[in-house]
Amino acid sequence: MNGQIELTDLDYHEAARYLGYGQNEIDADTLKLMRQCENEIVSQVRPRGIYRVFDVVVRQEGVEIAGTNLILFGESIKRHLANCDRAVLMAVTLSDAADRMIRTFQVTDMAKAVIMDSMASAAVEQACNRLETEISRELPQYYQTFRFGLGYGDLPISLQRDFIKILNADKLIGLHVNESSMLVPTKSVTAVIGLSREPVKGQARGCQTCNMRDICKFREKGGHCNG
Amino acid sequence: MVKDFRQLLNRDYVILDGAMGTMLQAAGMKMGEIPEVLNITQPDILIDIHSQYLRAGADVIYANTFGANGYKLEGSGYSVDELVRAAVVNARKACRITGKEACVALDVGPVGQLLAPSGTLQFDEAYEYYKEIVVAGKDADLIVFETMTDLLECKAAVLAARENTNLPVICTMSFEANMRTFTGVSVPAMALTLSGLGVDALGVNCSLGPKELEPVIAELSKWTTKPIVVKPNAGLPDPVTNKYDCPPEEFAELIKNLRKYGIKIFGGCCGTNPQYIKAIADMLEKEGNIPAEKTPPAAAVCSATKVVALSEPRIIGERINPTGKKVFKEALLNNDMDYILGQALEQTGAGADILDVNVGLPGIDEKKMMVDTVQALQAVVDVPLQIDSTMPEVIEAALRVYNGKPIVNSVNGEDETMDKIFPLVKKYGAAVIGLALDKNGIPPKAEERFAIAKKIMEKACAYGIPKEDVYIDCLTLTASAEQEGVMETLTALNRVKTELGLKTVLGVSNISFGLPNRVLVNHIFLTMALTNGLDLAIINPNVEEMTGAVRAYKLLANIDKNSVDFIKAYANAPLIPKIDPAGKNAVKEATPDKKQRDDCGIDGRSGLEAELYHAVMKGLKNEGALTTQELLKTTDSMDIVNNILIPALDRIGAEFEKGTLFLPQLIMSAGVAQAAFEEIRKYMITNDSAPISKGKIVIATVKGDVHDIGKNIVKVLLENYGYEVIDLGKDVEYQTVVDAIKEHGAKLVGLSALMTTTLVSMKETIELIHKNKLDCRIMVGGAVLTPEYAKEIKADFYSKDAKESVDIAKKVLG
Repeated sequence: MNGQIELTDLDYHEAARYLGYGQNEIDADTLKLMRQCENEIVSQVRPRGIYRVFDVVVRQEGVEIAGTNLILFGESIKRHLANCDRAVLMAVTLSDAADRMIRTFQVTDMAKAVIMDSMASAAVEQACNRLETEISRELPQYYQTFRFGLGYGDLPISLQRDFIKILNADKLIGLHVNESSMLVPTKSVTAVIGLSREPVKGQARGCQTCNMRDICKFREKGGHCNG
Repeated sequence: MVKDFRQLLNRDYVILDGAMGTMLQAAGMKMGEIPEVLNITQPDILIDIHSQYLRAGADVIYANTFGANGYKLEGSGYSVDELVRAAVVNARKACRITGKEACVALDVGPVGQLLAPSGTLQFDEAYEYYKEIVVAGKDADLIVFETMTDLLECKAAVLAARENTNLPVICTMSFEANMRTFTGVSVPAMALTLSGLGVDALGVNCSLGPKELEPVIAELSKWTTKPIVVKPNAGLPDPVTNKYDCPPEEFAELIKNLRKYGIKIFGGCCGTNPQYIKAIADMLEKEGNIPAEKTPPAAAVCSATKVVALSEPRIIGERINPTGKKVFKEALLNNDMDYILGQALEQTGAGADILDVNVGLPGIDEKKMMVDTVQALQAVVDVPLQIDSTMPEVIEAALRVYNGKPIVNSVNGEDETMDKIFPLVKKYGAAVIGLALDKNGIPPKAEERFAIAKKIMEKACAYGIPKEDVYIDCLTLTASAEQEGVMETLTALNRVKTELGLKTVLGVSNISFGLPNRVLVNHIFLTMALTNGLDLAIINPNVEEMTGAVRAYKLLANIDKNSVDFIKAYANAPLIPKIDPAGKNAVKEATPDKKQRDDCGIDGRSGLEAELYHAVMKGLKNEGALTTQELLKTTDSMDIVNNILIPALDRIGAEFEKGTLFLPQLIMSAGVAQAAFEEIRKYMITNDSAPISKGKIVIATVKGDVHDIGKNIVKVLLENYGYEVIDLGKDVEYQTVVDAIKEHGAKLVGLSALMTTTLVSMKETIELIHKNKLDCRIMVGGAVLTPEYAKEIKADFYSKDAKESVDIAKKVLG
């Protein structure tokens, strides 16, 4: 599938957490700017998502995505996809419009740019959630793991380029990778979801697999990034 | 046997082939494999696919070279040259085997990386990738650039083809249902830009089926007289099975319906196969084609995302120009791009439709500055630009990297100027302003200016520049010195417009030079010019009376139907109090009640000092700026910084550290301090005083990294504390950082990186700094960085957030 994902309202709470508010109340000035940013994102940004379902084969060095030349290396992805006979490769992007808005506000109003940045990050997560819901709807016979991103655990982020190629994501949703394996447009996500006919362990994301766990600003404040 | 594609275009229609990827996958190619490798490993598959398309009726077959560029072939074990040559050979073999005299096209897709500003690929790098592939494919009969989504990338590709081969060029882009490509390119912007660049045919391919593409094609047909290409997908793919939903007969039927838009070249993209091509060929043979109507499109200029048609008066903002502006000159000398961008956004916010860009100043590299400015502007504003320089090499450099169709400002009636500039205007497909003057200066009489205008028009046409793209400036003389000349200008303008049928342009502000109440004279003259047929007014759009005159004129001249734009501009506009030179009223408005002031702790300050302190604490930008203006009359600028701004910021910073205030609030306060600094800077420059500097700091987001908001927050905070920040931007080469430290003698450099992969660039940059033995301390920051890693890569300081970078700067620079 590939196509547009409609977002009508954004998650202020999520954006506020990116801004370091933790559980604190959002101040009136910030909230006002959040509303403006939400309006602009909802009216001008067209998020797009794509996914494909593949059989997977567990190997010594990692997990092979059947029918492609991609092998997801490492122990973390092997654990993540344990007991899964299939996997979804997915990608979501908010498109270049979001980057452009963030860039423009950095000239005129840095505070708004920072808020726009976190609202856009919240929007990508929401778009991913939408896509995930659609995947469940299309594949009701499977239990799904959480979205495992490239760069989590020991899954190399350098696979980003092959991942994009397999999904044909540059052509189908306008998502690219630069030479540092960074996704461009920047407000984008790629992830692997395991599919199993049995209930799976990895349904919720935890801090154990996260390579930010030692420097995580959320953990510092006693929370975590998953809500 | 080589066939001439341009001759093929004389036919009623031309048939292209269908999908290659779909056919290769059907033949067993794995996903993720490099399809072009098959050109050498399994040529028979390719020859067979080409042959099938030829038998189905294709006049042109696309060689299997879509992704054969240096970037995508990395690690394939083959060179671009090898795979491209093999592809063309395979296609030719298929022609021989089938006995068909078809053209073989070198098929070229996007490089596969996003161009700057969103990505890291530079225009020149993209050009080099395309150059390599077109040179390798010189044995083909034509070059096709397809599935493009970025107009600037198209431009790099077309220029590479035009400058390195003599082959005909087709360019097709992919549009979504919202009539835009993924990067936001609009259909008319593509048509104007590519037609201007002189492609042989242009159109659309991929993304949607023939039914969904109809509005795109309808729009395209209005904006170009070039042959139109349509190569749709076989409908839309099923989300689960990935199969396309439009069978060959229905596809041909839908194409039949599209003929009314004057399409010349037909084909199929993803999901199509030889049956589709045969169905199109049969349909066209039976039904014939419908010829295109060749009415030239209306005069217009554009960026990639916005088209400005000159069907009504438009405003060209004149503020990006150092002439007579000390602050602007200073910004140019300091390479202060943010200042220029601020000037641009202020003008577009006020109503400018187009921005004039002039960065000529003795002592700077105008060419480099112009290119940097055009690129930086296009990253944040969507209005078209007008490239304003007297130097042909500056104009050409800007025309190369400009994304869209710009205006060149300017030529005059002298042959020498026209012979230098017109070839550039023609090559890059720009519009051009012709000044109605020549070596004898500005003729006093309308008659003579009209004659020069006519000469300019004729010469432009002789260079192949369409008449619609020549705009004449009949030149404003100063009323106080040459009062009798005012009406001559307007008479000439009117004649150029009505007798020559050219668009007109006028710089207005000169009219009032030396007179009191200039704004009054300016906007009345502007109204007179509009009544005489002025199309493009070069004005300061920030002056409400000027922009308002254009809006009111459009309303009264029945252009702004039902007064929609006028009402939108003014109905809900708050009454903006005039900026009172004494500042009294404004400051009074900003005065908070006593309780509020006490709440935010003015720490024993009173009067204006308390107001400014309060403004910073509460994030009140305008009040902060106005109060600073006022304070500067009585207070030393350094005292303002040290006794008010920094203590206020320190207090905000302390609260941020405690967790009682959060990042947006910190930055709102920083924004106020920034506005206050802006006032101080203006004051210092106008009074010829040295600007405040507590030391220089170079900052950069490292090579390969495009996420620079963190670095930009650091910049604002450091500037708030009086440091002079040299911001190198994002994706910065190692050597550039070293050079900047040397050039500015900076004692502190800040490096930022977001990703684990770009930490490597950070390490490399630091190594190069150490290798050069620079007396400069290094601070680093970024999401994935740890204090341990900072130490490991030999940075002097790890900065956990923007606030800490200020503490480090204080430590190093005082």
